[in-house]
Amino acid sequence: MADLPDVGINPGKPTRKRVKVDPITLRVLGGAFDAIAQEMAGVLFRMSYSSIIRESEDLGAGLFDADGRELCESESTPMHIGSLPWYIRGFLHRIDKSTLKEGDVIIHNHPYLGASHTPDIAVAVPILWQGEVLGFAAVTAHVLDVGGSYPGINADAFDMYAESKIYNGLKWYEEGVLNEDLDRMVFDNVRTETMNRGDMEAMKAACILGRDRFYRLLEKYGADTCMSAAYDWMDYSEKRLRDEIKKLPDGEYVAPTAWLDDDGRNRDVRLRVETKIIVKGDHVTIDLTGSNAEVPTGYNVPFEGSLLVAAYFAIRTILLDQDRLDEPVPQNDGIFRCVDVIAPKGTIFNPNFPRACFSRFNQCQRVVDNTIVALSKVVPDLVTAGNSAAIHFCSYAGFIPEKGEYWLYLEVNEGSYGGRKGRDGMDSVDCLMANTRNNPIEELDMRFPMRTERYELRDEPAAPGQWRGGVGIVRVNRFLEPGAYSCEGDRHTDPPRGIFGGYDGLPAMVRHHQGKSHTEIPAKVTGLMCDAGDAIELIEPNGGGYGNPLKRDPKLVREDVLDDFTTVELAREAYGVVIDPKTLEVDLAKTKRLRAQLQKKRGRSFQGELLSLVKLPHRMAVSPHTGKAVAAKR
Amino acid sequence: MKRIGVDVGGTFTDLIYVDDQKGTVLVHKTPSTPADPSIATVDGIRTLCEMAKIKPSELDQVFHGTTVATNIVIEHNGANVGMITTKGYRDIIHIARHKKPMNFSLWQNLPWQAYPIARRRNRLTVNERILADGSVQIPLDEREVRAQVRKLKKANVDSVAVCLLFSFKNPKHERMVAKIVREEFPQAYLSVSSEVIPQYREYERFSTVALNAFVGPKVSAYVKRFDSELRKMGVKTGIHLMTSAAGVATPEASVDKPVNLLMSGPIAGVVGGIWAGAIAGEPNVITLDVGGTSADIGLAQSGKLRMKHLLDTKVGPYQAMIPMVDVDTIGAGGGSIAYIDSGGIFRVGPRSAGAMPGPAAYGQGGTEPTATDAIVALGWLRPELFLGGKKDLRVDLAKKAIDAKIAKPLKLSTQEAALGIYKVLVHSMVDAIEQSSVRKGFDPREFALIAEGGGGPLFSSAIAPEVGVKHVLVPNYPGITAALGLLTTDMVYEYTQTSYVMCSALSASPKERATLEKQFAVLEAQALKQFAKDKIDKKRVKIEWIVDARYEGQGYELRVDAKKGKVTEAWIRSVKEAFHDIHEREFSRRFEEADVQFANIRVRAIGQMPGLKPKTIKKGTATPPKGALKLTADAWFEKNGKPAKFSTRFYERTELLAGNRIAGPAIITQFDSTSVVPPGYSAEVDRHGNLIIKYSAAVAKAAQSGH
Repeated sequence: MADLPDVGINPGKPTRKRVKVDPITLRVLGGAFDAIAQEMAGVLFRMSYSSIIRESEDLGAGLFDADGRELCESESTPMHIGSLPWYIRGFLHRIDKSTLKEGDVIIHNHPYLGASHTPDIAVAVPILWQGEVLGFAAVTAHVLDVGGSYPGINADAFDMYAESKIYNGLKWYEEGVLNEDLDRMVFDNVRTETMNRGDMEAMKAACILGRDRFYRLLEKYGADTCMSAAYDWMDYSEKRLRDEIKKLPDGEYVAPTAWLDDDGRNRDVRLRVETKIIVKGDHVTIDLTGSNAEVPTGYNVPFEGSLLVAAYFAIRTILLDQDRLDEPVPQNDGIFRCVDVIAPKGTIFNPNFPRACFSRFNQCQRVVDNTIVALSKVVPDLVTAGNSAAIHFCSYAGFIPEKGEYWLYLEVNEGSYGGRKGRDGMDSVDCLMANTRNNPIEELDMRFPMRTERYELRDEPAAPGQWRGGVGIVRVNRFLEPGAYSCEGDRHTDPPRGIFGGYDGLPAMVRHHQGKSHTEIPAKVTGLMCDAGDAIELIEPNGGGYGNPLKRDPKLVREDVLDDFTTVELAREAYGVVIDPKTLEVDLAKTKRLRAQLQKKRGRSFQGELLSLVKLPHRMAVSPHTGKAVAAKR
Repeated sequence: MKRIGVDVGGTFTDLIYVDDQKGTVLVHKTPSTPADPSIATVDGIRTLCEMAKIKPSELDQVFHGTTVATNIVIEHNGANVGMITTKGYRDIIHIARHKKPMNFSLWQNLPWQAYPIARRRNRLTVNERILADGSVQIPLDEREVRAQVRKLKKANVDSVAVCLLFSFKNPKHERMVAKIVREEFPQAYLSVSSEVIPQYREYERFSTVALNAFVGPKVSAYVKRFDSELRKMGVKTGIHLMTSAAGVATPEASVDKPVNLLMSGPIAGVVGGIWAGAIAGEPNVITLDVGGTSADIGLAQSGKLRMKHLLDTKVGPYQAMIPMVDVDTIGAGGGSIAYIDSGGIFRVGPRSAGAMPGPAAYGQGGTEPTATDAIVALGWLRPELFLGGKKDLRVDLAKKAIDAKIAKPLKLSTQEAALGIYKVLVHSMVDAIEQSSVRKGFDPREFALIAEGGGGPLFSSAIAPEVGVKHVLVPNYPGITAALGLLTTDMVYEYTQTSYVMCSALSASPKERATLEKQFAVLEAQALKQFAKDKIDKKRVKIEWIVDARYEGQGYELRVDAKKGKVTEAWIRSVKEAFHDIHEREFSRRFEEADVQFANIRVRAIGQMPGLKPKTIKKGTATPPKGALKLTADAWFEKNGKPAKFSTRFYERTELLAGNRIAGPAIITQFDSTSVVPPGYSAEVDRHGNLIIKYSAAVAKAAQSGH
């Protein structure tokens, strides 16, 4: 297995025979492709068992051609959108395309052969038509446990073999017949057999549904028309994105160095992320040269299945913002053609086999956030200030002797967005490439030996700016029985950046409560044993402010005070708005004077840090501007 | 009985009067008065009474479908809402499900944060906690509650939502808070979660209860004003209002839970379609109601409405966990604008020309081609027959708009472009219909497509062979089917309670079975109490049991009908069997070995209303009477994928007789709608005046092969 083929090669433009498709049929088929992908995802998350799929929609589903080019993909979690092409190219190294039969069901999760990461298992079925392998219907979804060293999450794993069982292009079904020994091998070696089985059944059902829907289109319109229409739509999406890239001036745009907390084992050793955006004509390259060397834990990023996906996401989100478009631009191979990524081999963004790479979400999020901040200079109207761009992805688990199985709950904790030109940042929401649903507390408390004791916006105010940053959440989850806590998280030291004079936001924090005392714990934890009564408290970042806070409408500042998004003191100190603490009315005359004074004192290059204004018992917050520890106000 | 149905739409208020004894049916259409919808409705009722030559006091029933509640939410002009909630959970409705509406957007807003139903300053917490088993972990401090309620009063809120965690397990704390609100702040509109909807999932429940408080004061005012206006006119019965669950409720019940009036609007159309199908012997119907900007799609098998999945019961962007009939709305209508986007793709809608400027053919200044313009260019709508010749129709302007924006850039003829616009719109409707039929496991070959609204009969004949339905049915008054639907409705109340129990546990434990029976009995008692309040005779009340069930470990329930009766092993088995079937239809899979879990139980109580007797029309022969044929002219229809010119007969609908047969190509016009019978189709008038449009085997084959 040491001699792994390189899957990271784009197959280029399709070579299959093309026919002219009339504009009406083209429109009709475009709608049909999209409907199929959505329907596949709908079946998957509504019938699946684990909450990570059904509530969080941590899944992707779509149709692909024989070389893995994406025809369509569901609107689920962006981290999945665009990874399936690489899974397919990966397993085609193991499976000879010409041997594929109707009724074959393939499973795959090899992170060095296209997988996004090992717990995101892909299930794929071939689409065979008149003797030709036209493509695949495929889904990927996060299953609860994949038999690594620790239940659920393995941020600190020795190597790939320790983080998960590896499925490298295996046929779960051959011509519709279950491979029973493989089935036993798969489900005997995970901690949550019942859940995994229910979920993988749902994945298979979604694939078969997608395939059969596509067969109906093939029957009606023929393979040449269907595939040509698919390629026309790819060209369409490519043109739409290239048209936008062309509007940007050629050049290299560099984001400030971003710091990741640590690798999950070697504490206090921060990891560097360098991001340069190269715009040339109608093409963008994201260059991560200079970023940290690969790490000995699971905190590396699979290049194809994860990093490329992040790059596609960043560019399309900024330049083809769904909320600004008159019509939807479908997500397909066309989008991927406009973006390249440079990440030298041997760095955290392109690790060497067999490094573990279980936990890659936070690094990807930071690449996206850096891209946004880097491009703020050229497209100030289209970007946000720095975003939380992190998640705490937590696993809570324990063993149930009566069932001989584990209970295991995975939780994605949301973040917040930076301010935007004309709008405040979004609060308490899944950030950037995360877009999952939370779990009802009233469901969790009934289902698991746990209790959620707090879930609301964190206490600290929003980062000041003409458009304020969003506010993250605080959540307390208590174990009612002994269990293990694991987490992949980040952003405990390097807060989201303010831009154009907006203040930097606040970093995240996690505490382990035992009895009446608590200790602050790192973002990445693997297998922390908890007693009954222990609680984990998660506090998520506040996004950065956009623009000079002295320019924020005093009325909006007052509204923020009324809603506890800021305080009377901060209104004065950061926004220069004088509010009577009793009547809560703005004194406009005093405000005008104070604002003039503050503007003079601050000068033009002022960069405020919220951390220096709020009470936060924080261990090692670091200024992104000086690289030095900031003395938090106590 | 003498009855009136009033359906208030965005543009028009439709009314229908029925005298069951005399068999009189009168319809009336009047422009809506959005500022106060009751003006148009009251005026309309007065006019209808004059037309019928009766006094308002003779009316036995007035049934009303209203968008008042929906509009308050969409326009966000409801009450100033205060909320009392559990300490530590102040922002449940601010966080929502922490999922963004769009994947690829930095610019989007989260509507529940940008336009909150209850602002953060008015969400106050009290220290209390009820646990998952219903026991009290932290007792409520009455003094703290009182202080918080006083704060809300001082903040001038109009209504108070009481939303405590796990109140569906134990409502004690919420009741205490409600009592204090009544004492301290009696003028506030009160909305208590364990009363409005004692169901688990805190975000959905809080959001529903906050919405209830948000629309409550205005809806109450509207309903009371309307009711008293009618009583002033002499109407003795007052009004009944259509709910989202497709039943009517009294004004008093509506004021108690106005949240149930959300989505009152589009549902009557489905109910009317079911009725039209039933009198024509079609229990399975797909309804398509096409207006100017949107199309509503519904489906009923064996005359039974489908309810929406929990994840889909939204009003605008807000979650409302109430029983809601499954109606799908898409942005496709007569006013939908056709254009070519910057990447060269041909698109139609969802943008609409609206009432102003409207389609180019209306000559009101519109220059963008709409679906209506396409239909004019194809020759299906003719100036001399349009709205009885009352409104000018400019064929030249329609063609000019199509040529400039579509035909020239795509190098097509005017008719090719027009047919293209029509086909793109037809396909978006086909997609939406398939979404709610084939893709949910219903076989379209067993269904009739009911064409409603001004536009339904224009599109349905092209849709029918694509979807594969038996045939199209155009009711007598397609534009007024919703108002008619109101008159066919029963009174319906649904009561629900979260009740977590495994089927294996039910089988094993007589105690669990007894508990379940008791829970059903409590809900039934609530229903009977409501009907007693409404003065409905017990004999006319029908009780249905429903269970929301899922496989053990799954997270989303499906609604399963259960037989009312003793909870025995046979009962459990039959519910399980029904659940397996529904799961298989939804997801193509059944897991017979898996244990089934109940999450919620429901009682649907139906107070039967007299219903509506269909009337018959005069019988004729296969050949329509001479006078019905108004003219013969050229029109364009699709032939082998291209538009071709056909000599086409134009008939007047009201002059057709039962038994008349018309072979396509033909167009049948009536005041507010136009039915299209393309070549290869034939239409027949049934004894009730319904138009049945069938397609030939050749048409079916062509549709399946893509041409």
